Amino acid sequence: MDRTLRTRLAAKLADRLTGPIRQRHDQTEIRIRPADLIEVMRVLHDDPELEFVILADLAGVDTGDTMQVVYHLWSNKTPDWLRVIAEGLPRGDPRAPSLTGLWPGAEWMEREAYDMLGIVFEGNRDLRRIYMPPDYKSFPLRKDFYLPDDSARGPGGGVRHVEEPYAPLAATTRSIRRTVKA
Amino acid sequence: MTAPVQPHYPHPSADDPRIMLDAQIGQYEQVPPYPPRTEREAEFYTLGDGEMFLNMGPQHPSTHGVLRVVLKINGEKVVDLDPVLGYLHRGVEKLCENSDYHHIISQIDPLEYVSSLFMEWAPVMAFEKLMDVQVPRRAEYIRVLTGELLRIASHALFQGWMALDLGGLTPILYSFIERDEIVEMLAAVTGQRMLFNYFRIGGVNGDLNHEFMSRLGDWMSRAAVQHEANIGLLNENEIFVRRMRDIGRVDRDTALRMGVTGPNIRAAGIPFDVRRAHPYSVYPELEFNVPVRGSNGGGDSLDRYLLRLDEVRESIRIIDQCLHEMPDGPVMARLPRLMRPRPGRAWAAVESPRGLFGTYVISDGTDQPFRFRIHDPSFVHLQLVGMLMKDNLIADTMAVMASLDPVMGGIDK
Repeated sequence: MDRTLRTRLAAKLADRLTGPIRQRHDQTEIRIRPADLIEVMRVLHDDPELEFVILADLAGVDTGDTMQVVYHLWSNKTPDWLRVIAEGLPRGDPRAPSLTGLWPGAEWMEREAYDMLGIVFEGNRDLRRIYMPPDYKSFPLRKDFYLPDDSARGPGGGVRHVEEPYAPLAATTRSIRRTVKA
Repeated sequence: MTAPVQPHYPHPSADDPRIMLDAQIGQYEQVPPYPPRTEREAEFYTLGDGEMFLNMGPQHPSTHGVLRVVLKINGEKVVDLDPVLGYLHRGVEKLCENSDYHHIISQIDPLEYVSSLFMEWAPVMAFEKLMDVQVPRRAEYIRVLTGELLRIASHALFQGWMALDLGGLTPILYSFIERDEIVEMLAAVTGQRMLFNYFRIGGVNGDLNHEFMSRLGDWMSRAAVQHEANIGLLNENEIFVRRMRDIGRVDRDTALRMGVTGPNIRAAGIPFDVRRAHPYSVYPELEFNVPVRGSNGGGDSLDRYLLRLDEVRESIRIIDQCLHEMPDGPVMARLPRLMRPRPGRAWAAVESPRGLFGTYVISDGTDQPFRFRIHDPSFVHLQLVGMLMKDNLIADTMAVMASLDPVMGGIDK
């Protein structure tokens, strides 16, 4: 845990954070609104005291109620990984700004998040499906996507609050009906 | 006489832009030209003067898996290219979200079959952070030892593949000899040749045994000499060197902006190695250098090739230190069989032979992760190919693609 990173982040981004800065093990976590994403990332990338130059990961997350885009960054100025969570994307129409202006390498990761979860990254010039066939309509990593051949389900199955293991029909039709203009 | 049965499939209409592939079964063609979906697709699938498309793959032997690349060519020059992924997509993330924490290790193993121990290492580390598990030091040393062995095997295979893609048939045979010795060694301790399923949450599955140690000692006595001999096979081959030099140059800024990691970023002159940049396991206690290549203008294919050979030397050093400093003790922490970590999030990244391999896990308190995200370095590196190939010859596609060392199993997840 890098305490100084916490103070640096609080000083630079105080008005942009939507929650407290959390630290655990070797990770520091900040939460922001998706609308502030580009500005926050520019500060993190360009500020000489932060210099998060490497985008280690971009992950889409469906929490069941809302969607998130989670970024992991690395900098030489801190021993911690920085996790930036852009939270509160509505599940009906999840949209986030694209980071391809800052890290062109985010393009495929954003395509993947679109393909798997249906998150639309505005500004990504190639937001096509990347794994699934082009005529595929559903988003497999969404939590209402039912896994028909679910033999791996362990004793914890059915416990979770967001996945409905016994309502496949409603769940699948809901996700198939969704269309997103890419 | 009965009336002929009318086909129930819809007839193609004149205003349907798609091309009917087979009128009998009503199947449409799934490749362009259909109306473009994105700006980039519209740009790519518009042909200029004298240009044509060429499909490479998905069964091309040099694509290291099942990858289709649509090349837009003008004569022998590649104007642009569009990689088409997904032929190997198995939905590993979804499978892992529906498996319990122990099961995930075997689910993620075949993800990238060339360096599968690293595929186990990252999630295991993430779970240990999630559950605050302290791993015994002997287990950490064993992880480093087996991991570095597999790194050598992976780089040896890379060397052979690289030559094979450029038309040299002999080196792959020597690579497989090298790899086979290591893989047999690991099979002695893990029971498997390829998908080891060896790391566990809180340690490793079983201590090192006599067969492993005797094979390792045998191999270590000639590893360095054998490595230099393998290097000599190719490095002084003029055709090989001249086909690799000045091809696919990546400069420092591009490497950072494109999210390149691993040997590919170090070949561009940036000493970013997760083992040093964000130390994990017992790497802080071990002595090794982070080799860097490339001049001010960045690194070309030859730099990326040579850098991996440098890394093998460092890996042999690490193995030597592991053997000398390996402590005694247990190889597994005492943990319950059924794990239900408290709700939380954890990210862990390791330096796999291809670069930063990371996993992001969200726990909701059940015995299965709520979200399991896999970040594979090859996936990011493959984006570079489109950028590097512009205005090169078709034959050089392979020299560039192979030097980035992608493995489709990891890319397609």
